[in-house]
Amino acid sequence: MQKILAIIWKELYITYTDRNLLVIMLATPLALALIISLAFSDLLSGSSDIPISNIPVAIVNRDQGVEMNGAAFNNGQTFINVLVPPANADEQTLADNALYQLTDAVVLSSVTEARAGVNNGTYAAAIIIPADFSERITYSQEHPTVEPASVEVYANPGASVSASIIHSIASSISNQIATGNIAIAATINALIERAQSDPAFGVQFGLISAAGGFQPDFAPAFSGETGAVAIERQTVEGRQVSFNPLVTFGSGQAVFFMLFTAMASANSLLEERRNWTLQRLIASPTPRYMVLLSKFVATFVTCVVQVLLLLVALTIIGSLLSGEFQIIWGTNILAILATVLVTALASAGLGVFVTSVVKTPEQGNVVGSLTAMAMGMIGGVFFSTQGIPVLGTLSRLTIIYWGVDAFGKLSVNRSDIEPNLIFLLLFGLVFFMAGWFIFNRRLNV
Amino acid sequence: MHQNMVEVRDLSKTFKRSNGEMLDAVKNVSFDIRQGEIFSLLGPNGAGKTTTISMISGLLTPTHGDATIGGHSITRQPLEAKKLLGVVPQEIALYPTLSARQNLEFFGKMYGLSGAALSKRADEVLEFIDLKDRQHDKIESFSGGMKRRVNIGVGLLHQPRLIYMDEPTVGIDPQSRRRILDTVKQMQTEMGMTVLYTSHLMEEVQEISDRVGIIDHGELIAVGTVGDLIQKVGEEDRLILKVGSQVVSELLLTRFRHEVEGVTGATHEQAHSNGSDGSATQPDGLIIVIARRGRRALPDLIRVANDSGLDIVSVEVREPDLEAVFLHLTGRELRD
Ligand SMILES: Nc1ncnc2c1ncn2[C@@H]1O[C@H](COP(=O)(O)OP(=O)(O)O)[C@@H](O)[C@H]1O
Ligand SMILES: [Mg+2]
Repeated sequence: MQKILAIIWKELYITYTDRNLLVIMLATPLALALIISLAFSDLLSGSSDIPISNIPVAIVNRDQGVEMNGAAFNNGQTFINVLVPPANADEQTLADNALYQLTDAVVLSSVTEARAGVNNGTYAAAIIIPADFSERITYSQEHPTVEPASVEVYANPGASVSASIIHSIASSISNQIATGNIAIAATINALIERAQSDPAFGVQFGLISAAGGFQPDFAPAFSGETGAVAIERQTVEGRQVSFNPLVTFGSGQAVFFMLFTAMASANSLLEERRNWTLQRLIASPTPRYMVLLSKFVATFVTCVVQVLLLLVALTIIGSLLSGEFQIIWGTNILAILATVLVTALASAGLGVFVTSVVKTPEQGNVVGSLTAMAMGMIGGVFFSTQGIPVLGTLSRLTIIYWGVDAFGKLSVNRSDIEPNLIFLLLFGLVFFMAGWFIFNRRLNV
Repeated sequence: MHQNMVEVRDLSKTFKRSNGEMLDAVKNVSFDIRQGEIFSLLGPNGAGKTTTISMISGLLTPTHGDATIGGHSITRQPLEAKKLLGVVPQEIALYPTLSARQNLEFFGKMYGLSGAALSKRADEVLEFIDLKDRQHDKIESFSGGMKRRVNIGVGLLHQPRLIYMDEPTVGIDPQSRRRILDTVKQMQTEMGMTVLYTSHLMEEVQEISDRVGIIDHGELIAVGTVGDLIQKVGEEDRLILKVGSQVVSELLLTRFRHEVEGVTGATHEQAHSNGSDGSATQPDGLIIVIARRGRRALPDLIRVANDSGLDIVSVEVREPDLEAVFLHLTGRELRD
């Protein structure tokens, strides 16, 4: 045990006295956090408790709609329904809806006008819905396939953060419409059926429909899933939660950078083999498992330190932006810690695994970085991959997805993160064991 | 108490190369290292010295065979065996960003030392390798010779009775080399240690070793004291005749063997060396003649050569040494 501690201590000592590694580990992400905060702060307005609000957006809905069961459906209209408050909305409704606060959406009829508005900075972005949008995504007897539909988000490069938020929201809405449409159709069918069999309900339903007050409730289609930028509406208890892009964006970056750190830290095993310090350790009366385990633990600790520091830094930034101290990660400190630990464990496990399958430290650097990049890409660090056919499914295999998803849930005080914890824990253990096995075999040649 | 500190039996290692070929790096090697002696493995680069040391220090699992250290099998009781052993790898196996003392103390802990005992040993070792005044400097700031000394110091820290030193003089200046050779001698005489030393340089092996094993292409081709081994080639000298690019006929070599008294062998070798302009390589022919009392044979050799119209550019007479033994056993020069 003393030996394990001595090795871990040596690892950490070398890590924290190595300026390059320290830069990779701390300075780069902190600089990034600073950039995020600068980008976010120019969008800050008023004393709102959400750091970003009133992003000006133009919506152009060219959707022709479809007809189904005798009723006309226009899914493009959904974007307007979701983003533009009803004309008669009271203050409470406005305040309760995070999306209404986040964006300041106007409906335009001309694409040219919308683009010009983005070009001259009136709007951060324009959401342009194509004419065949509903047709492509609607499932019906006549049209039994759901095709991918594209919604154009025309963005102002000068407002890249707000534009990317709008982009995320738009893709989130469209993906949810695409996946939710079948459910909505089924719901409406069920309502009609019930109206036919239950006279009282039928009367009520007929009255509401006749009065034009019937709006399909899309809420179920929007709940649950979190995209790259979560659009949180209300919790089950009906409590208002504010949507905080710092959480999803920040935790994505934190986990992403941690992957690089894990790779670099685990890679030192190969460097030690090259300069023979590993052989010296193995030639000493120290069991091999201690050597490998210590390396793993040291990598793990480094990852934990890095993520914790980033979470703290992002908290400070979030508080500065909103003008008051707030823990943007939620109040369940234990669950947050558990998430940090399993995410770090998964990253360290992956790091050891990559180290075990490559031959040289140089290969380790390349393969490690590529793995981290690929995982970031697929996991949705750069753009949301939710709902994109193959990538969306693959993202479920990444540390990023499960980590960010857990942080997102915790930030709105949801506690259903068991699947996340279990996945990350298993991920870390499986990769560490596999790496250990392979590395041991390779040491023997 | 075992008389043999180390017993190596039928040790073999086959590597699978990346191209799929199998390489027998060490083939059925057996030898003993006696308590208190300096035993050297002498062989050219790639002969299998490091592979042998790696197997008998528990770094590589032998394909076949075993070794015991102080009676403990390195494959079956590795931890017991390793406790008795200090290793000095061929590479500078140190953490460059840690200081000399931090390196010593870290590896000391791996051998179970701690606290005041560790601190005292670190002091003693630093004294011994004469680096006390630089103990807090990082290894990366050290010269090659200093790094080599720390590399040795780490192997001495836990006061092992046995130490393996794999080519500890590679890549350093003659002065540092001298110092290290003296250190090795000191370890034997003052500390009563048993040393396994490897090198491809016959001079240093010849100087420090009690017994030598000659290894080539993974095979241990001879073991014995330096005297024993030289006996093998007989009391024969080697005469090295430089002949440049001239053609040397087989007939001439036969004449050397038959017409010059005391000559037991003559071979012709082509070495290449850079021409004076530094670019072209010129063939640099050597005739190597093995002869009893070589100096006496010299006049006759020159006469026969002149007879055949061969100009001898220069002549060198070498007394029998391990180089000659290697040549005798393998037909090749030790340094290629
Ligand atoms: N891990 C390995 N994989 C494949 N071949 C190896 C490996 N290690 C050593 N060799 C080969 O084994 C032979 C002996 O090498 P080595 O023991 O290092 O020789 P020496 O120490 O005498 O210079 C060489 O041909 C070398 O290329
Ligand atoms: Mg070697």
